[in-house]
Amino acid sequence: MIEVRGLTKRYGEVTAVDSLSFGVLPGEVTGFLGPNGAGKSTTMRMILGLDAPTAGTATIGGRAAAAHSVPLKAVGSLLDAGALLPSRSAYHHLLALAAGNGLPRRRVHAVLDEVGLGSVARRPAGTYSLGMKQRLGIAAALLGDPPVLVLDEPLNGLDPEGIVWIRGLMRRMAAEGRAVMVSSHLMGEVELTVDHLVVIGRGRLIADTSMAAFIEANSLREVVLRSPQAPEFAGRLEAEGAAVHRDGDALVVTGLAAPAIGALAAARGVELHELAPRRTSLEEAFMRLTHDSTEYAAEKETATATDKEAA
Amino acid sequence: MSLTSVITRRTAPGRPLPDTAEPKKATFRHSLHAEWIKIRTMRSTLWVILGTLVIGVGLASLNGASAGDEYATMQAADQAVFDPLATSLKGYMLAQVTLALLGGLVVTAEYGSRTIVSTLTAVPHRGRVLAAKAVVLAVMAYGAGLATMVVGFAVGQSALESAGAPYATLSDPQALRAVFGGALYLTLAALLGFAVGTLIRSTTATVTTMFATMLIVPAFGPALPGPLADWTATYWPPSAGGQIVTAYRDPALLGPWPGLAVMAGCVAVLLVAAFLTFRRRDA
Repeated sequence: MIEVRGLTKRYGEVTAVDSLSFGVLPGEVTGFLGPNGAGKSTTMRMILGLDAPTAGTATIGGRAAAAHSVPLKAVGSLLDAGALLPSRSAYHHLLALAAGNGLPRRRVHAVLDEVGLGSVARRPAGTYSLGMKQRLGIAAALLGDPPVLVLDEPLNGLDPEGIVWIRGLMRRMAAEGRAVMVSSHLMGEVELTVDHLVVIGRGRLIADTSMAAFIEANSLREVVLRSPQAPEFAGRLEAEGAAVHRDGDALVVTGLAAPAIGALAAARGVELHELAPRRTSLEEAFMRLTHDSTEYAAEKETATATDKEAA
Repeated sequence: MSLTSVITRRTAPGRPLPDTAEPKKATFRHSLHAEWIKIRTMRSTLWVILGTLVIGVGLASLNGASAGDEYATMQAADQAVFDPLATSLKGYMLAQVTLALLGGLVVTAEYGSRTIVSTLTAVPHRGRVLAAKAVVLAVMAYGAGLATMVVGFAVGQSALESAGAPYATLSDPQALRAVFGGALYLTLAALLGFAVGTLIRSTTATVTTMFATMLIVPAFGPALPGPLADWTATYWPPSAGGQIVTAYRDPALLGPWPGLAVMAGCVAVLLVAAFLTFRRRDA
């Protein structure tokens, strides 16, 4: 539903988004991940027609965002939940957006009820908490009942209840056959919610893969064990082809599953105090993946700072 | 909106049915409606319009009373150029600034609060958004301007009359021109603020620019070297446009309508610049 082809944005010398190509499919939640400053927001702004690409195209349902005859019925978006006139009520904020697309007033009531703001809709938006503003932003995105949703960091700064609510909403929207694109700089925020991952760093595509494949490829299976005979047993495990390293008084074993280790220990009469399989977190995998691009960014900033000092 | 469609919605919450009442295409008319909702739910709109009326009418009343008292002690030459019309409409000088502020706010409030993002994702046709804002603003400014001029005129003339000085009535063609033309001038002032606000996006910078353009330059124009002072007095758009509220004709200056045309031309040029910029700029 969203097609991004060779999308590029340059600000003078700086390339914020660099020939990015990917797709966001209906019926899926696509996580758009990258460290801060990777170009996620810029990409979303170009998809929505707010910023003009230096090169490349972004289409929603086969057309540029601006080419839809009723834009809110083509795509709903939440870019900046705090973008509200403080003195204007949530109701009038939504009413003006609906009016501009010729949507009936009942859509405003419907989305206010859907996000649970019905009873406070007449209050000035400036009195809202961050969580309420986020809900109002979601309400605006749902006004036109669109088949495509673009949400920029919708979980940022939310309380646990709000996070659960938005995750549930995204799952429901995808289950209804909509294409949902959600950005985050934290894997942990979205790993339970997304079906597909698009990872960028320094404006470039790093990964475009299903969540299942990402987990398969990036989660190392480790076994932590404790034993009074750890030093001797480590040698034995290595002889069986496992990789072993010490972590305090524990051994961390990769390359051999827990049952095999247990059997080996029993056969050798090794006393085990702990034998625990664990997965490395996806957050770590994500950080490894984007490590190069963030490190490069830090180095470059340092270099620039040094240049300035020299000058 | 039919009753049945409401009931249908209620029975199927969360899965709205295709709505045949909704438009096939969003148009300029829809944007006008949206901008009308926005301008009337912006808190500053009420204050700016009330302020414009209070300033316009207050100054007319004060000027009428004091000028009326002075008239009796004036030299004959001064009495000959005494302009009861302009005396009662001087409030326009401050009203133009408040309405220019309203014009600026229509755009700068959107940049200040970042609502421009939701405005332009809902209606990506930038020209349509800006045109709708301009039309709604112009209608509102003309209404407020006309009210200020009519009430200011009535209050000012009655103050002059009670002070025993010459006064004008609305049946006077010059008075009609000044009152309705003055409202047009105030509309142009609002559009000037709107164009400048669109170009520079900051409320504070827009207000400062409007103060300088409408009050400081005309006030300090005479301090400039001769030819420049003459040029400023004659052609500086707010000075030229201000001729619309005067009855006494200084032959060195532009007439009321040519003066207003200079102001209108200046506003037109800035509006074109504002449209071109707004269409190209990243939101």
